[in-house]
Amino acid sequence: MKTPTLLEMTAPLREDFVIPYHDFGPRTAPPRLALVAGIHGNELNGIFVLSRLAEYLQRIADGTQPAQQLTHRIVIVPAVNVLGVNTRTRRWPFDKTDINRMFPGYDLGETTQRIANAVFQATRPAHYRIDVHSSNLDFEEVPQVRLYEPSEDESASAMLFGLPAVIERTTDTAFTTTLGHAWRTCGGENFVIQAGRAGDLQLPHCERLFRALMAFLHHTGLVTGIELAAEDQDTHYFGLDQTLPLVSEHAGLFVTHVQVGAWLQAGALIGQVYDGFSGERRAEVRAPVSGLLSGIRRQPLLYEGDLIARLQTRVRLDGQRRTVRGQEQ
Amino acid sequence: MDITQDAVVSLALPYRETLKINRTSFIGGGGPRVAVIAGIHGDELEGLYVCHRLAAWLEQLAETHPHALRGRVDLIPALNPLGIDTLERFVPVFDADLNRNFPGDPEGLLPQRIAAGAIAALSGSALVIDIHASNIFLREIPQVRINQDFAATLVPLAEGMNLDLIWLHGAVTVLEATIAHSLNSRGTPCLVVEMGVGMRITPAFTEQLLVGILNAWQRLGVLAPDLPLDAITHSPLLADDTNVHYLNAETSGLFLPTIDHWMAVRHGDLLGTIVSPQHGGTLSEVRSPVDGVLFTLREYPAVYEGSLMARIMATR
Repeated sequence: MKTPTLLEMTAPLREDFVIPYHDFGPRTAPPRLALVAGIHGNELNGIFVLSRLAEYLQRIADGTQPAQQLTHRIVIVPAVNVLGVNTRTRRWPFDKTDINRMFPGYDLGETTQRIANAVFQATRPAHYRIDVHSSNLDFEEVPQVRLYEPSEDESASAMLFGLPAVIERTTDTAFTTTLGHAWRTCGGENFVIQAGRAGDLQLPHCERLFRALMAFLHHTGLVTGIELAAEDQDTHYFGLDQTLPLVSEHAGLFVTHVQVGAWLQAGALIGQVYDGFSGERRAEVRAPVSGLLSGIRRQPLLYEGDLIARLQTRVRLDGQRRTVRGQEQ
Repeated sequence: MDITQDAVVSLALPYRETLKINRTSFIGGGGPRVAVIAGIHGDELEGLYVCHRLAAWLEQLAETHPHALRGRVDLIPALNPLGIDTLERFVPVFDADLNRNFPGDPEGLLPQRIAAGAIAALSGSALVIDIHASNIFLREIPQVRINQDFAATLVPLAEGMNLDLIWLHGAVTVLEATIAHSLNSRGTPCLVVEMGVGMRITPAFTEQLLVGILNAWQRLGVLAPDLPLDAITHSPLLADDTNVHYLNAETSGLFLPTIDHWMAVRHGDLLGTIVSPQHGGTLSEVRSPVDGVLFTLREYPAVYEGSLMARIMATR
């Protein structure tokens, strides 16, 4: 069967531009689940995992996995920003706009508004909607579910992935034009997943994310007959006041040896800041409280005010900084 | 008149250097304080040249009429100096649109620190003019853009600015993070001027705006009422979301305009064509959907399906 496409448009010189997607299960009903990745062309973990998931669902559809059954329709868009993937570009390469700042889109508008509209229209009929991201070039995230002003159903369903962290966040005005925000205006259950770091493919994060999506398919009954591998570690739910960003007050070179997903004791060393000219150590960065290291800076060059790490705490934090707004979604 | 230079923001960079947002101040009597800011986007240079022309005019005034400056003028020509250094629209490294980071945070990321420093430096001014130069794709006639929430205050200020167009636009949540919205919502009037095109300077537009700014300052009492100024020669049309028509490319290729910018057009007039570099035919003819004036015209020839080629304000 011909590969379905979300959008077809002309290009100035190369072949016509299309966004292909996968469509599994009975076409008579609207999709129950929509999975999207690669809105940013340099976020490769989600692209890889969704393509591998599509390969698995194709085997079920072909009947070569007789123990498993697909009960509902599922659509998968491994990469929205196709030209961005091929040119290693986060944004839409031609006019440098960020597709995830163009939702809900407009079918008669600018190129990226048309792309956004096509993605939104294809995914809004689904009940469960998942947008997979991989932070940015500078920061690595432990695979996690992000919830924005969630419904009770969303908070409950987010735990089904079995990822190390489910993290609640507030909606910033800058994020009101994202796909995740557009989805929330039309009901259903919506999840933004962050996994790893842009510009790279981190196999352990991909494997964890793949298991998470399999667990979600199993627990929601979208695919029956899945035998989950050994249970992953506990999933923890962190409310709005259980995130502590660690911000650098020094510019310089940041060096670290820690790994995301580790539980740190209060006082544990996270990294050091050096002066790149004199070589002198400017600061030590230590965990001020105990918690799960959900994200760590991977870019050594450090400006004043840069985010170094994020800790998720078991206890609620009062009166501490809770947000550092970057370009990660 | 005193002329001083200082930095409204000073931040250490990773290796040795310091990022400074520079301000030049012309300080006269105890009258109102006004400001001109530019270079929020590193690819927009028109406002930097306006600042140069204003500085030259004020330096001349200091020699010829040193008491005619009754208030204070602050020029902040480049809020995104790293963008100008690197030929980038956004704040380099952070890939952030500075004009989506207001009101900022003095303890946040670098773009938010710049934003917070700018708001602190500008709050309380009698008038802030934020000069933009479109982008590298589109050429704009000198115009002011006003969020309708602030129309009552800003339209009267904008009418005497010697511009060709006032565009009232609806409130958009994401635009609440602009410097203009942040200042206006704090009671500091801020006019957003758009003119020219990215990465270029259009001296004729600069001189037109210069006359408008000086006349506005005189009305506010920043300049002495008896100081002779060049007269206003342009009065603006009023555009809004009901009479502005967008012309988006129906196919990809090379856009060649067949008319000049800021021309009256009639319904059905040919405005340009889209052609293919691979064959001699015409892919698309671009025609005006209304009678009106063409106030935005594409400068960058390559278009993708959907690319904006022109905006027309319908005149009837």
